[in-house]
Amino acid sequence: MNFIPLALYTFALLAYAWHFAQRQKTSAHAATTLLVAGVLAHTFVIGMQTMQAGQVPMTTPASAISATVWVLLLAYLYIEMTTDERAMGAFILPLAVALQSIPAFKPAIEDRAAVLQGPLFSVHVLSLLFAYASFALACVIGITYVLLFKEIKAKHLGFFYARLPSLQVLDSMNQRAIVIGWLFLTVGLFVGWIYATQTGYDPSVRAMSLHDPKILMAVLCWAVYSFEAFAARRLGWGGRRSAYLSALGFAIVLLNFVPISYFLTTSHNF
Amino acid sequence: MHLVLVGISHRTAPVELRERIDFQARGLEVSLRALAQRAAVREAVVLSTCNRAELYGVSEDPNQGGSAFVDFITDFHKVDRQALQPHVYQVADLDVARHLFRVAAGLDSLVVGEPQILGQVKEAHSVAGANHVVGPFLNRLFHSSFAVGKRVRTETGLGSGAVSVSFAAVALAKKIFGDLKGRSVLVVGAGEMGKLTALHMKSQGVHQVTIVSRTMAHAARTAEAIGGASAAPWEELDPLMGSADIVITATGAVSPILTKAHIETVMRPRRNRPLFLIDIALPRDVEPAAGEIEQVFLYNIDDLQATVRENLARRASEVARAETIVGEEVDKFSVWLRSRGAIPTVVALRQRFDAVRRSELDRLASTLPADVRERVDDITRLVVEKLLLTPTEQLKTLHDAETIGLYSEALTRLFGLTSLQAQGADSPSQKSESASDAEQRSDRGDRRVEPFVRPQKR
Repeated sequence: MNFIPLALYTFALLAYAWHFAQRQKTSAHAATTLLVAGVLAHTFVIGMQTMQAGQVPMTTPASAISATVWVLLLAYLYIEMTTDERAMGAFILPLAVALQSIPAFKPAIEDRAAVLQGPLFSVHVLSLLFAYASFALACVIGITYVLLFKEIKAKHLGFFYARLPSLQVLDSMNQRAIVIGWLFLTVGLFVGWIYATQTGYDPSVRAMSLHDPKILMAVLCWAVYSFEAFAARRLGWGGRRSAYLSALGFAIVLLNFVPISYFLTTSHNF
Repeated sequence: MHLVLVGISHRTAPVELRERIDFQARGLEVSLRALAQRAAVREAVVLSTCNRAELYGVSEDPNQGGSAFVDFITDFHKVDRQALQPHVYQVADLDVARHLFRVAAGLDSLVVGEPQILGQVKEAHSVAGANHVVGPFLNRLFHSSFAVGKRVRTETGLGSGAVSVSFAAVALAKKIFGDLKGRSVLVVGAGEMGKLTALHMKSQGVHQVTIVSRTMAHAARTAEAIGGASAAPWEELDPLMGSADIVITATGAVSPILTKAHIETVMRPRRNRPLFLIDIALPRDVEPAAGEIEQVFLYNIDDLQATVRENLARRASEVARAETIVGEEVDKFSVWLRSRGAIPTVVALRQRFDAVRRSELDRLASTLPADVRERVDDITRLVVEKLLLTPTEQLKTLHDAETIGLYSEALTRLFGLTSLQAQGADSPSQKSESASDAEQRSDRGDRRVEPFVRPQKR
C-alpha cells in the first residue's frame, strides 16, 4: 500500500522540479495537487495500518520512516500554503521519495512488543519523529541557502538567484526548524530515558546505554543541534555555518535512521 | 469595421518630435474628447508615454480612419504634416492587435520587458472607457492585450532581472535581506551618485539613511536633499558601519578607504550579521579582498553593470518565447474578429423575432389582464431567446468571410432581414434601443462593453 503515496510523491517531485525550472503556474498547481493527493493517500495508508495493527505504526524502522516522511511533507505543505513559496518543494520531495521508498520496498509488520505501550512511549517516539522531520526541513533549507549564498558571493546571479527566496528568509526558516527540532529531540530523549528507567525489566531496555550506536548517535545529534542553536545566537554562526551544521546533523539522523536502526542497534530491536 | 492604429514611438521618431506630440501633457481626456469629434473614428484609445504616442480606433475605412488620426495629430499638436509623416506608422486590423500585444508585453519598449508599459496600456483604456469612447472592438482588443502582457510576464523571463544599476543594487539587497523595511543604509561620500542610489533605497522603504562625508557641511546638504536622512561626521564611520545593513561608498578618494582588515574589525561586533557593500566609486573605495569575508557581500559598479548586462541578455533570449505567445493571442483575436462579421445578421434576426413577438403581444393586449400580459411577455421572450440560442452560437463560430456571407444571405432571404440588417449596421450611437440590446445579447462574451457615445457637442 505504501506504493501509492510513493508513486504520487514521485509525480509531485517531477512536477516540482518542472516548476522550479520553468516557473509556470500550471505546473505549480499540478505539483501542489499531486503532493496533497500523496499526503492524503499516505494518511489513508497509515490509518489502515493503524486499524490493522490496533495501534499507530511507528516502532519498526520502516514505519518510523514512513511517519517521518508524512510529518515532513505536512510541515512543508504548511509552509507552502502560508508563504506561497514552492521552490523548497524541488529539494524536499527527492528526500521524501528516497525515504518513502524504504517502507514501500521493505515493509515491516507492526507487531508491537508488550513493553512498547503507554503514553510515555508514544510521546518518546512522536517527539523524535517530529524532531527528525524538522531536521530534514532544516537540512534542505540549509542546502538552498548555501546554493544562493554561493551565487551571490560569486556574483553570478543565475538559476537559484531567480528562484529562491532571500538569504534572510532562508536563514530564519532554518533557525526556526532547528529550534523546533531541538525541542522535540530534547523531549523525546528525556522521555525515552524516563521510560527506560521505568521498564528496566525488559532485556532490550536493559541494554540501553551509550554503548548502543543508536543511542550514542541520538545523543551526538542532540549535541550538534544544541551547539548549532547556541552558536547561532551567541557566536553569530548563522547563515552558511548554520546551514553546514544542519546538513551534518541531518546526516547523523539519516545514519541513525537507516543503517543503524536496521543493522547495528543492540537495544532498539523489539 | 476595421481596427486602425496611427502612432510614433522611440523606434520611428526623434525625442524632439515625441516631446511635441505628448497627449499626456495636454491631458488624455481633452485629447479623447477632441478625437471623438472626428467623424471617421468610431472608437478611440490614446496611449501616451514618454516613448510613444499612439491612437487606436475603429473605422469603416482603415485608410480614411488612419488619415483622420494623422490630421488629428497635426491639428491638435500644431505639427507640420510633412514633418510628421516620415515618422508615423499606420496599421490596420490584425496588425493593430499584433502591435498592441507586443507593446503590452514590453517587446516594443526601449528596455525590452520593462513592466510599466502594461500599467500605462491599462490606464489608457481605463481613461477612454471613463470617457465612453470605447466599444466592443477596442474593449476586446485591450482586454486581450492585458492577458498577453500577463502571460508573457508569467510564462517567460522577459521581465525578470534588474536592467539599471540602481535597480540591480536594490534587487540584490532584497535577495540578501528580504524586505528592506527596517533596514538602515549608510552612504559614504556626499556626491551625486551616492545620493541617487540612497534615494532609490529610500523609495524602497528603508528605515534609516545616514550620510557620512569628510566635510560635514556636504553630508548635511546631501541628507537634506534626500529628505528624512541624517548626516554624521567622518569619525563616526566605524560605529555607523557596525550598525548599518547596506553601505554605499561613493567618495572621490584615489585609493580604497575601506580595507579588508578594516571591514574585518567592523564585522566582529556584528556577529556575522550580513553587510551589503555597494562600491559605486571610481576609483574603487573598497578593497576587493573585503568580499572574501564571510557575510560581506561586495559589489562594485562593474559587478552591477555586469549583472544588468546579463539580465538584458537573458531578456533578449526570452524574446522568441514572448513573440510566440503574441502570435498565439493574435490568432485567438483573429478568430473573434472574424466572428464579428456575423453580428449584423444576428442582430437583425433577433430584431425580426422580437418584432413578431411584440406585434402578436400588442394584438392580444386588449383581451388580456395586465398581470397575464406580463406573464405572456416573459414566456414569449424566453421562447424567442431559446429558439435563437443555437443559430446565434452557430453564426458566431463561423470564421471565414465567405461562409458568413452565405449564411447571412440565406437568413436574409428566409426572414426578410434586409432593412433590419442595415439598421443593425448603423453606428452604435444611432442605434435604436432594441438593436443595441439585441447586439448585447448576441455578444455576451463582451460583458464589459461600454456603449460608444459621442459627446453631445457636435
